Amino acid sequence: MQTCVKNRKRHLLFSKRNLATLPVGNQQVLKTRMDIQQGTLALMVLRTLEVLGPLHGYGIARRIEQISGDQLALNQGTLYPLLLRLEQEGAIASDWGPSENNRRARFYRLTRAGRKQLQSELRDWQQTADIIARFLAITEETQS
Amino acid sequence: MRLLKRLLARLCNLASRQSDDRRLLEEMEAHISHLTEENLRSGMTPAEARRQAVLKFGAVEAIREQYHAEKSLPFIESVVQDVRYSSRVLLKSWGFTSIAAISLALAIGANTTIFSVMKRLLLDRLDVPHAGQLRLLHWHGDKHTAVSNMWGISDNVPEGIGAASFSYPAFEQLRSDNRVLEDLFAFKGVGRMNATIDGNAQILQGELVSGNYFDQLQVQPQLGRPILADDDRIGAPIVALISAELWQRAFGSSSVVVGRTIKVNMVPVTIVGVVPPGFTGAKSVQSSPDIFLPLSSQPLVEPRGKNGSLLGASSPQVWWLNIMGRTKAGIADVTAQAALDTSLSAVVRSTLHPDANTTIPRLDVQDGSRGLFLSKQTFAKPLEVLMAVVGLVLLLACSNIASLLFARSMARQREVALRLALGAGRARVLRGALTESLLLSALGGALGVALAFAGCRALPTLLANPWETSQFGMPLDFTVLAFTASVTLLSGLLFGTVPAWIATRSDAGACLKATGPGSTRRRKGFSGKMIVSFQVMLSTLLVAGALLFVGTLFQLAHINPGFRTDHLVLFAIQQPESRYPAPKDLQLHHQIEERLRALPGVQSVTISEVSYISDSMENANFLPEGETPDPEKDQSAWNNAVGSGFFQTMGIPLLAGRDFNENDTASAPKVGILSESLARKAFPGQNPIGKRFLAHFHPREGNPGDLIEVVGICGDTRYWSLKQDPVGMFYQPYQQTPNLDFGATYEVRTSLSPASIAPSLRKAVQSIDPDLPLQEIRTQQEQIDASMQQERIIAALTASFGVLALVLASVGVYGVMAYSVAQRTSEIGIRMALGALPREVLTMVLREATWIALVGITCGIGATLLSTRLVTSLLYGLHPNDPVILATSALLLALVGLVASWAPARRAAAVEPMQALRHE
Repeated sequence: MQTCVKNRKRHLLFSKRNLATLPVGNQQVLKTRMDIQQGTLALMVLRTLEVLGPLHGYGIARRIEQISGDQLALNQGTLYPLLLRLEQEGAIASDWGPSENNRRARFYRLTRAGRKQLQSELRDWQQTADIIARFLAITEETQS
Repeated sequence: MRLLKRLLARLCNLASRQSDDRRLLEEMEAHISHLTEENLRSGMTPAEARRQAVLKFGAVEAIREQYHAEKSLPFIESVVQDVRYSSRVLLKSWGFTSIAAISLALAIGANTTIFSVMKRLLLDRLDVPHAGQLRLLHWHGDKHTAVSNMWGISDNVPEGIGAASFSYPAFEQLRSDNRVLEDLFAFKGVGRMNATIDGNAQILQGELVSGNYFDQLQVQPQLGRPILADDDRIGAPIVALISAELWQRAFGSSSVVVGRTIKVNMVPVTIVGVVPPGFTGAKSVQSSPDIFLPLSSQPLVEPRGKNGSLLGASSPQVWWLNIMGRTKAGIADVTAQAALDTSLSAVVRSTLHPDANTTIPRLDVQDGSRGLFLSKQTFAKPLEVLMAVVGLVLLLACSNIASLLFARSMARQREVALRLALGAGRARVLRGALTESLLLSALGGALGVALAFAGCRALPTLLANPWETSQFGMPLDFTVLAFTASVTLLSGLLFGTVPAWIATRSDAGACLKATGPGSTRRRKGFSGKMIVSFQVMLSTLLVAGALLFVGTLFQLAHINPGFRTDHLVLFAIQQPESRYPAPKDLQLHHQIEERLRALPGVQSVTISEVSYISDSMENANFLPEGETPDPEKDQSAWNNAVGSGFFQTMGIPLLAGRDFNENDTASAPKVGILSESLARKAFPGQNPIGKRFLAHFHPREGNPGDLIEVVGICGDTRYWSLKQDPVGMFYQPYQQTPNLDFGATYEVRTSLSPASIAPSLRKAVQSIDPDLPLQEIRTQQEQIDASMQQERIIAALTASFGVLALVLASVGVYGVMAYSVAQRTSEIGIRMALGALPREVLTMVLREATWIALVGITCGIGATLLSTRLVTSLLYGLHPNDPVILATSALLLALVGLVASWAPARRAAAVEPMQALRHE
């Protein structure tokens, strides 16, 4: 996908939000994978936690990559500022717990407020997607 | 809501300083180990697995920073950082900091104080609803005006004389004729009244008011009822309202004060109410009467005029009442003035019966919102001068701060360039400069506010006489404070940030590469030197002004008033007229005089109707025997009624004849003593002793006057003011004058201090009449000092501002020269390497400084020549462009310039060529 096209699309979709360019490790990956945008990432995190229950940071990153079918270029470290922000907003809560390799890890879970936030954001997302879908369906005949 | 939660959490973190990121480190460690394990499983070598894991994780530092930014409020944190850095910088250069802060503080403090006083004295209005509607009636006339007898203050107007005093018949007539203003009301500040409250004799300031006074002023008492029209009729029981201040002082703010009876000038008076706090009467904004009485009580509480009454038609010749009224909607002042003028002419014709030689006074309607506004006459000029002076000081302080900050930020340009080169944003650098300026301004501002508070405390005590209780409250005016503070602080901010802004715009690389003597040096130095020249100019002006006022004070202090001013204790006794109608008052004073003479420690005692250098005087007509009255000529002389032994007690030399003595009683032949200059004028070329003159004659009132024989000649003295040259005077024994209406001042020559002799004086007077208080106990020297108070205040303030100006100018010169030398270090090094002698370098720097100073001094002298004309009326014994003073101030400034540039010049001369060149 061409960079310019990608950008235009982003503007259409997320004009309300600030664009954040995330540092990307591998130049090669940049060309084939899609950068993700901060607001979207929050949505993904919340949804992941909703479906899979409490997870630690690595687990969340892993799941997001898997679900996206490895289409996303995610610098996994960038998750942590986001998690902190969601926690400060009260959407998620966290606790120390033992991880599968018997290390201490921080487990994040969705709170009731987070569930509500997710629901409303999903609704918004759905709406936007519907609208975009209609635009994509426009042909010259329907327009004239 | 979410935003709020986040902000709250961040603020919590900020407050609890939870900045450690141990949790993040641990999570990152765990994360990377997970990744590594995964990579290992996919068959990488351990080292590669770890490397890929770290790559996948992303830039750790960036994430940490981002995490931190999420966690707390980076903006506030960086502000805290800025503040900490700036205070460290300011602390390190504490010399600069203290000078800048003190300049700011003085500018804010001094200006706020003077502006506050000015506002209080000249701008504030009476504290009544819609004060702007009040109009004061005033009249003016020429020297032949029909009004000849006035109780009150007259003012000089272009036509001749003017006053706001009217006779009672005039008030009644104007009030009944008036259709152009709201109902007219009248009042009269009668000054001191002797009151007895709960057996304590006190002095109260009294005001007589007409029955509609409170109604028309729209003032409601805070307790009880106002004085009503019904109280203001002859025969009504005398009621009074008291001030909030007296209520608190004498009655402890007790509500049972209503209905209490006190004695005012021996007359029982019932208190019916208390006026609201802040109400100062209609006369003045600055001080309030203690007690308000109806006009109808005048014949009893303040008897004056024929049969003691000024009311009704009994004394139409005495003009004494102040009249005010509110404007009527839709009627212009000129219309009102024309209508009221007609009424006034009618009443003057019917009551004063003017003849062909006299003129009818014309009425004018003036602004009454500030009462009689007497403070304008007294304070307007000195306050204008002080305001100009503090304005200049403000300008000086601002320019001082400007030049200091300017030189400083120029010197720090390299630092700015370095920070920019290291990646700091321009906004961040600017914010740093702004923070520093703000800190400095806040420091100076805080000091300035403290100074303003202190000044507003101190100034009223400076303005008051030491022997009088001052009621002149001087609240700090916050609008004024806000104004001066913002002007000064803004200038600080402006000159702190603008150079930083310029610095951030310049090319960082070029600036870093540029060495000391860059090609732009001259231009940069130019504006700094301009500011310093400007400072020197302002300082010259201020120093010259200060020298003028100090010189005036010096001249005044060295005037010989014509009498001995040392070891003289003065006090006044005002006998109540109800108890001592003439001629009983003369007997009373004679009795007191005798009693005091017998006291131990008293060398001699005498009485005078008018005390010296106290702005009071008496004038009577004076006609040498044989001359005929001529209204075209000035046939009057200043006079004073005095006791026996007056000339000996006062130390006025008797040039011929004798002093008054015990034999000059009321029944003895009338005698008088002339001062030298009057004798020479009245009896030129003759021996005046034994000659006679006619005084106190009023043909129109059927008074033929007294024929008085001259028995002595005394030296000339200054009379009411030190500034007034000695005047020709005649003296009479007080027993031979009609009365002592206004009481008398006792002059006691004693070797004791006033404090130690006062109790025995008081006891002696009270053994004659326990209700007679001693008023205004002071020494003659204190009286003279008080008369020079205005000059002293101006001299003290301008002198301190002058010294301040010198300090600021020297700081300015030093700063700019030190900066210039620092900039030219390598240039000087090259000169020295090429053979310049240290002495030549020294001269070079000093010459540069002298040029700056000379430009400033020349402009300053020019400004002085232009502006001193404005203060001529405040000077005494000095020409406003006194060459000595101008030369002195120029020399002083030149000296200051040299001294201030000496240290930088020495530093330049001590430059080691090799070191200077290596310094690059």
